[in-house]
Amino acid sequence: MKQMILTFSLGLACLGAALPVYSDDGGSIASKVEELGRMDYLKVADLRAVRRDGLLRVQATISNSSPANQQLHYRFRWLDNDGFTVWEEEPWKPELVYGKQDKVLNVTAPTFKATDFKLELQSPNNSTSAENPGNVADKPPYR
Amino acid sequence: MKFSRFPLLPALLALSLSACQTLNSPTVGKGISYGDSKAVETVSTDLGSTDIQTTSEKMTQSLLQTPLLQDIIRKRGLLMASPVENKTSEYFDTKLITDTVLSHLQKNGVRYVIAGDEMQNQVDELRRQNQSGLYKKSSAAKVGNMQGAQYRLDGSVSSITKRGSGVKDVYYKINMRLIEIESGIVEWSDEKEIRKVLNY
Repeated sequence: MKQMILTFSLGLACLGAALPVYSDDGGSIASKVEELGRMDYLKVADLRAVRRDGLLRVQATISNSSPANQQLHYRFRWLDNDGFTVWEEEPWKPELVYGKQDKVLNVTAPTFKATDFKLELQSPNNSTSAENPGNVADKPPYR
Repeated sequence: MKFSRFPLLPALLALSLSACQTLNSPTVGKGISYGDSKAVETVSTDLGSTDIQTTSEKMTQSLLQTPLLQDIIRKRGLLMASPVENKTSEYFDTKLITDTVLSHLQKNGVRYVIAGDEMQNQVDELRRQNQSGLYKKSSAAKVGNMQGAQYRLDGSVSSITKRGSGVKDVYYKINMRLIEIESGIVEWSDEKEIRKVLNY
């Protein structure tokens, strides 16, 4: 399994200091990602966060294991140290991921107050999972 | 009969039971429902709410990363915004983009002064307080104390529309710039591209 890395370098990047790095086999990524249903073809292969010039910057690599194009909807939830949201609910953003493509999403927090985040993901080709019935999406975020 | 002395009791009991089975929502009217204002809007290829929201978001994030803007926040500098110019053939209120960007910036400490259409209301109010004779001089806002901005935000929306057999392709390009008013130097600019395809 592809090694998944979650890198946090909060607050120290602008000072050029050594940054804490966390890496594991997906546990850290799972704590930052909320999938609406279980995504069959799209996976977060890599997730990094750094605080630069006072702003939290996040880079997520979305990997498409299918040969077919996949539609992705995503948005971030920006949080403070205590887990409170510090920005209004973001709009869902559509993103097309080509077959077998690794798509890189680069996002900067819209507020200096953000120190943490959650990445919400939804793909219309999601399947629902009996193991996680509380987090099941039956409709894409279309209007 | 047991209920003969209270003929209304069975009816009241039935009514209360039926009331327990349905829960009425605190709504009035039928046929209209509230949707998610943050949902991806794919009603038509025209610019829509998702385009406005994602464009404003991208521009705000890009501006916040600029050292100049962080300097403006620190030094309590002033911004003003000219409305984003609509160069497309379709009608939509481009002020939505400007207003959202300004609103997001202000939440981060950016101060901006009013301009354009809003200026008339400001002038009217100053005149009312100073010339109508209705207000105490000590409490009236003084004329001549408005502050000028050092930087101006402007932008434009352009589009290219193409039609083929069974397909309509619309490409939008939204551009925004931050200009130093005194020198006219463009200190920051960014753009957002959007492609919308309708297959029919």
